[in-house]
Amino acid sequence: MNTVDEILDYAIEQEQQAADFYAELALRAEKAGMKQVLLDFADEEMSHKKRLLAVKNGKHELTPEEEVLDLKISDYLVEVDATDDISYQDALIIAMKRERAAYELYTDMAANIPDSHLKEVITGLAKEEAKHKLFFESEYDDRVLMDN
Amino acid sequence: MSLKDLLSPFFVWQRAFEKPWTNMRPIEERPGAPAYRGFHINLADSCIGCGSCHSICQNEAIDMVPVEEFSGRPGDSGLRPRFDYGRCCWCALCVDICTANSLHMSNEYTWLARDPTDYHFTAGVEEKPWQDSELGYHRAEGYHLYPPKRIDMDMLTADESVQSFDEVVNGYSEEQAKLEADRCVECGICVATCPAHMDVPDYIRSIRDGDFETGLQLMYRTNPFPATCGRICTHRCEEVCPVGITGQPIAIRWLKRFIVDQVDSIDYARILDSEIIENGHKVAVIGAGPGGLSAAYYLRKKGYSVTVYESQETGGGMLRYGVPSYRLPDDALDKDIDYIISVGVDIRYNTIIGKDVMFEDLLGEYDAIFLSTGLSVPSSMRINGEDHPRVLSGLQVLADVARGKDPGIGRKVAVIGGGNVAMDAARVSRRLGADVDILYRRRISEMPADPEEIKESQEEKCNLVEKAIPVEIMDTGSKKQVTIKWGEAEMVQDPKGGRPRPVLQEDRMHTETYDCIISAIGQGSNLDFITPAVQEQLAIEWGKFTPGEYQRSELEKIFVGGDVANRTADAISAIEDGHHAARGIDRFLKPGAYAEN
Ligand SMILES: Cc1cc2nc3c(=O)[nH]c(=O)nc-3n(C[C@H](O)[C@H](O)[C@H](O)COP(=O)(O)OP(=O)(O)OC[C@H]3O[C@@H](n4cnc5c(N)ncnc54)[C@H](O)[C@@H]3O)c2cc1C
Ligand code: SF4
Ligand code: SF4
Ligand code: SF4
Repeated sequence: MNTVDEILDYAIEQEQQAADFYAELALRAEKAGMKQVLLDFADEEMSHKKRLLAVKNGKHELTPEEEVLDLKISDYLVEVDATDDISYQDALIIAMKRERAAYELYTDMAANIPDSHLKEVITGLAKEEAKHKLFFESEYDDRVLMDN
Repeated sequence: MSLKDLLSPFFVWQRAFEKPWTNMRPIEERPGAPAYRGFHINLADSCIGCGSCHSICQNEAIDMVPVEEFSGRPGDSGLRPRFDYGRCCWCALCVDICTANSLHMSNEYTWLARDPTDYHFTAGVEEKPWQDSELGYHRAEGYHLYPPKRIDMDMLTADESVQSFDEVVNGYSEEQAKLEADRCVECGICVATCPAHMDVPDYIRSIRDGDFETGLQLMYRTNPFPATCGRICTHRCEEVCPVGITGQPIAIRWLKRFIVDQVDSIDYARILDSEIIENGHKVAVIGAGPGGLSAAYYLRKKGYSVTVYESQETGGGMLRYGVPSYRLPDDALDKDIDYIISVGVDIRYNTIIGKDVMFEDLLGEYDAIFLSTGLSVPSSMRINGEDHPRVLSGLQVLADVARGKDPGIGRKVAVIGGGNVAMDAARVSRRLGADVDILYRRRISEMPADPEEIKESQEEKCNLVEKAIPVEIMDTGSKKQVTIKWGEAEMVQDPKGGRPRPVLQEDRMHTETYDCIISAIGQGSNLDFITPAVQEQLAIEWGKFTPGEYQRSELEKIFVGGDVANRTADAISAIEDGHHAARGIDRFLKPGAYAEN
């Protein structure tokens, strides 16, 4: 991936894959209310995709310089499986961890290329993913860690 | 007659053309003395519409009137005092009683109005020239018409209380209860805030009258768990009691308990029983916690045949297996539950819906179902090593203790969490002889536990470690111990608002070894017993129902309530949900009776 368009296409595809992942899991989910939660997650990913499409079409700018709060919640949680009887807590853990992995991927990529427009775009993507991670981590903080 | 006498009328006439000596208005304004009892000023924003001014006024010069801008404010009746200056004698009793200290008087005393109705006015709401006057009569600081401090409760000291599971609070004597009841100004503000809308001022009056049987009857109108709530209610009523604005709120909860403690359970039937006219309808209740049993009681009173299905060996739900006996002894809970059973509620213990009896069978067999299954699944921390055998759940420890079993916690314990379950688990551990650290990821001020519980756990020497985030559980090589690694947190303002969020500081980690770690970070529901086809038709968000009017779910036969369907997750809300659902079920099954409404 050497051009800005290529990297954006890759990122857009990743968001689509994430949306498909949650939609598929929603079909299987057994626990009360989980289908809706997973469909909401899928919608969230589609909104990420739309944002990136807008970036590609020049209608939206990434903000590589923006500071994003890192709650570091997912960093210390165990991996969980996307089973049919997945719970809210585990669905959130999967979501947080996926965003974290994407964030780390772009951060590593950016670190390995010289200063350029491409680097700026990749750093911008990393910030986007950090925001998504913050979104799910805040949700986890509010809904799962209520008494903690 | 002299000539002077003859001419004098003409001299008088001459005066008619002179400048008059009298003035139409006072010659000059004469301000009232600085503390004069002049026209009333009410800081309408601070006033909470308690109506004490209205009640005390001997001249009936005050009416309480609704004022739109204050309606719906919590702890506020939405009413404000309207003065009738045709009646007021400026005695200032209203100022002296004012609970919010919002009412005082200016030193203005002259006011001309052409329209007599102008002399009726709502102080602080209608603009008046004296509204900003700083002079005039104000109640002297520290002066109260009623004692501002509550009557002290006799309690075990912290040192005594950790020695056993004996109840910490001893309860009021009759003399103490009457003195405390005397402080109530009967405003009724608490009634609106109490989720069950208990008739507090009237049952408090029954204490003053020494008529405890009437007090008990009043309580049972909206709450069949008064012995329980008189001990462990979250007492939101006290938060709004206006006597607490300048003093300490009435001890509503302790007064409730006092009434129940005065009446022997043998007399309950005579005092409370009313004729039950069977109506032929059958209702199933799932869960014998306070929500389920409250619904069962009020349904039974309305003539329904009620069967309660309960998975445990006895009733009470979390009140039995969660709340420890030093706060709620079994006999107090039993007093409430025994009376509910005595009116003909049939409880099937040791019966799990979804296993022993299927949910769909209930749907077929009963005319309506009320579901109040609570939150019984402890949330897990999901950190590495959590499945260590020395990591116990708070709910399990509390349930073991409630059943008289030794939970085997050892002598040095860490409790994770900051809610009521964590506080109870910690205080129970102290009673079992352990030293306790409570690790909480935010600040003490943000703990969701009741402030009273936090205070008492500190007094009982639980060591509260705030801003501590657990990151890993490690094996020590010994079967009897476990190590926890936790990091310090910094509180960071969330750019999107809301409560500040703790952020782990990875350079400030600690490790500590304990005999066990008790995890009490929250609990969720288990609704797996509801068949998927039915589940899909019910609105469930984050494991909780979102009921509509009268606690009804999307399926007309199913009503839901208690912890699994409300945000407050306390006993009194569950009790009200049950009562509310009973009314809803009655409307649903006997629509004719409500046709005119
Ligand atoms: C440790 C602790 C301390 C607390 N302290 C306070 C306090 O001080 N003040 C306060 O107001 N509240 C307190 N609470 C909360 C209070 O206990 C709950 O709000 C209240 O008990 C909720 O009532 P409920 O009827 O909704 O559910 P629960 O009391 O949880 O009862 C639900 C019942 O349903 C049964 N059940 C569940 N599933 C099934 C099934 N499939 N089949 C058959 N039966 C089933 C359960 O066995 C249980 O008995 C505390 C809770 C805990 C855990
Ligand atoms: S000053 Fe006295 S008479 Fe006038 S409203 Fe107040 S209590 Fe009533
Ligand atoms: S007593 Fe005070 S707070 Fe209560 S209604 Fe009157 S003015 Fe308002
Ligand atoms: S207890 Fe407090 S709020 Fe309730 S009626 Fe008495 S004074 Fe008013």
